[in-house]
Amino acid sequence: MAEQKAFKTAGLMKDLMAKYYTKGKESREKGIPVAWVTAVSPVEIFYAAGLFPYYPENFGALAAARKVADKLSMVAEARGYAHDLCGYARCGIGDAYADEHPVGEIVKPDLLFCCNTQCGSLPKWFEVASRFYNAPYFLLDSPQIGNEPDKLCEQYFIEQLKELISFLEEVTGRPFDYDRLKEVLHLSNEACRLWNEVLDTAALKPAPFGFFDACFHMAPIVTWRGTQEAVTYYQALKEEVNERIKEGIHAIPDERYKVYFDHIPLWPKLRWFSDIFAAHNALVAVSQYTHSWAYSFDLERPLESLAENYTEEFVNRCFDYRVQLKVNFMKKYGCDGFVLFSNRSCKPNAYGLYDKRNVISSITGLPGVVFEADMSDLRFFSESQIMAKLELFFEQLSSR
Amino acid sequence: MNKAEILGLFKKVAENPDWQARQWKEEQNGKVIGFLLTDVPEELVHAAGFFPYGISGGNSRLERADAHLQTWACSFVRSSLALALEGKLDFLDGLIIPQTCDTTRMVLGIWQHASPLPFLLNFRVPRQVDRPSARNYLIGELARLKEHLENYRGSEISAEKLKKSIKLYNHNRALLRKLFTLHEQNPASLSNKQLYTVIKASMLMPREKLNELLTELIKAIEQETAVPGNRIRLVISGTLLEPLEILDFIEESGGIVVGDDLKNGFRYIDGDINEAVKPLEALADRQLNKMPSAGYDIARNPRRYFLVKTAEQKKAHGVILLHLKYCEPENYDYYDNIQALEKAGFPAIRIETEYGTTSLGQMRTRVQAFLEMVGGEING
Ligand code: SF4
Repeated sequence: MAEQKAFKTAGLMKDLMAKYYTKGKESREKGIPVAWVTAVSPVEIFYAAGLFPYYPENFGALAAARKVADKLSMVAEARGYAHDLCGYARCGIGDAYADEHPVGEIVKPDLLFCCNTQCGSLPKWFEVASRFYNAPYFLLDSPQIGNEPDKLCEQYFIEQLKELISFLEEVTGRPFDYDRLKEVLHLSNEACRLWNEVLDTAALKPAPFGFFDACFHMAPIVTWRGTQEAVTYYQALKEEVNERIKEGIHAIPDERYKVYFDHIPLWPKLRWFSDIFAAHNALVAVSQYTHSWAYSFDLERPLESLAENYTEEFVNRCFDYRVQLKVNFMKKYGCDGFVLFSNRSCKPNAYGLYDKRNVISSITGLPGVVFEADMSDLRFFSESQIMAKLELFFEQLSSR
Repeated sequence: MNKAEILGLFKKVAENPDWQARQWKEEQNGKVIGFLLTDVPEELVHAAGFFPYGISGGNSRLERADAHLQTWACSFVRSSLALALEGKLDFLDGLIIPQTCDTTRMVLGIWQHASPLPFLLNFRVPRQVDRPSARNYLIGELARLKEHLENYRGSEISAEKLKKSIKLYNHNRALLRKLFTLHEQNPASLSNKQLYTVIKASMLMPREKLNELLTELIKAIEQETAVPGNRIRLVISGTLLEPLEILDFIEESGGIVVGDDLKNGFRYIDGDINEAVKPLEALADRQLNKMPSAGYDIARNPRRYFLVKTAEQKKAHGVILLHLKYCEPENYDYYDNIQALEKAGFPAIRIETEYGTTSLGQMRTRVQAFLEMVGGEING
């Protein structure tokens, strides 16, 4: 298969991520506290408080992509952390105890902050880490909500943001800067807007950009969201995607179908998957995963707006809401089928997929398949089983 | 009824978990609301005039749930769903699922599709319990639950009714705790298995009847003379006590369970509800002040120190960490718990269990070996 033309912006990404890791080290030297944070959490508060937010999940994904997740995991397993726990957590805990650090050492926290919208693994992992590193831990608790926004949960979230702010004021010894928060929220808005405009180009037929591209380009929206760096990055990416549209460069050579994918990719097999789909002329166009960062904050009501955006995020929603979300994405992007990944690591996204497949098919009439594996750990990867499922799926696609 | 008859009845209830609920439903023409174990304010359900029924999982035909829930999900939830799919919970009118982990957080939607019920609600317990926000929120969440129960019932739950239910449950917990103490003081009069069988049965039968039986049972045991024995004192820590056979194995090897932090053990009967405070606030306070459990982040009372303290207070010789396979929160706690216990001089062992597949033979051997080791230390 013809090699796809690489994104120029990829170079920028390399610099940006290198800068991110140096910044972690520099912060420590300058006495700026390093705060561990989670991917779907109001990181804006931390930038506004002048702390350096560090994303251990990103460390897990990196270890997975470099195919060393099992090595780090085994260090944790030797201590009784079972291999069925979330792969990111296993990598993080493993690295804490490990003598060898194949992807560099995880940056040690001065404090830990977890928002449990996403899952129950992060709060437990961070609890373990807070004992290990002997650093204070703050859990922002977010009960699951249904189809509609939930006032009770929003109120709870706001109250906790206030508790968090007092906690950070104590850590930093300075009053919280609400003006700075506005600036940060504005930068988050901008980055989210640009990112989603890029994602939306996957609806064009043929499209210049797809899910696997998004997996590559998503690191800044997670780790730099709330800074000018993220905005600059996505401006550049958007420009490049627009150029590609003009020049007729497509994500895959001969796009005939569009596919919806749920949820996180198999990091160590990203290339393998993207090649298989491309070989079958199917563009994986969209996933709820890469759309997780689509915030729009009201600068006049910062705390309320943070609470609305984060509690109403799909990771914090019930079964039916998530079904509807997937169906809406399939419609918006003109999908011809869907592939759901039952990810052993990520229980909250895996549980329910068997029933969701049936419900989605009956609503949309589209073919769909569920396959089993782990996002980071190749010990749970069976190429033949997954191929068999995908082959069947591709047959259904072509016979539509 | 004499002691043997009462214990026989409890055993029968535990072995036929639907028996009492079906009977009650028929006699009272009332509604039965199930719950997954056990962080649910049963008092509210009781005050609404419903029968709160603790689904205790099952040990056969778990594969019925396989089309809905991955086999690597916790077997308690899988087996409970399997029971529903098999029709063994067809007497339920409703179900309340306390969201204490990812599995309980995600299973409600699955249940709704796989085995729909007229009343199906999550109870969204706060997972941080130390800051003031948790209490404010929980009072609101309890009010939400109450409102749903009222809508389902078609009328308000009066404050008076709720207070009465709280009183009844407080009394029940006090009786069960009394029984626990009697077992500790005089294990010959109430074995490990008998004690936990009563606790299990308590979630499966009408509280009023239960309290009468417990009162009689306590009276009977109090009349027996205590036989001092040289038992190996153990604390069990984990999510759920399962299977009950482990208690026989402990007994055989000369052990007695003197404490636990299990959701269907002492954690279920610990702590009363303050009858002098507004009911919803009082319900919230009990929930927030429960002993530590893996599902909650408790900074003021970290679980590992709580276990060490319990082992010290109970003069335990060892601790069994009973790990329900695939219970993630429990697994994250395990290593630090065992480190803390061993540092404090308490030998500890992890035993993995799974509804439906636990190998009893292996479990017996491991329990025996552990008690031999711990017992040797007592004698030596
Ligand atoms: S992969 Fe899933 S379980 Fe793991 S940290 Fe992310 S959301 Fe949580």
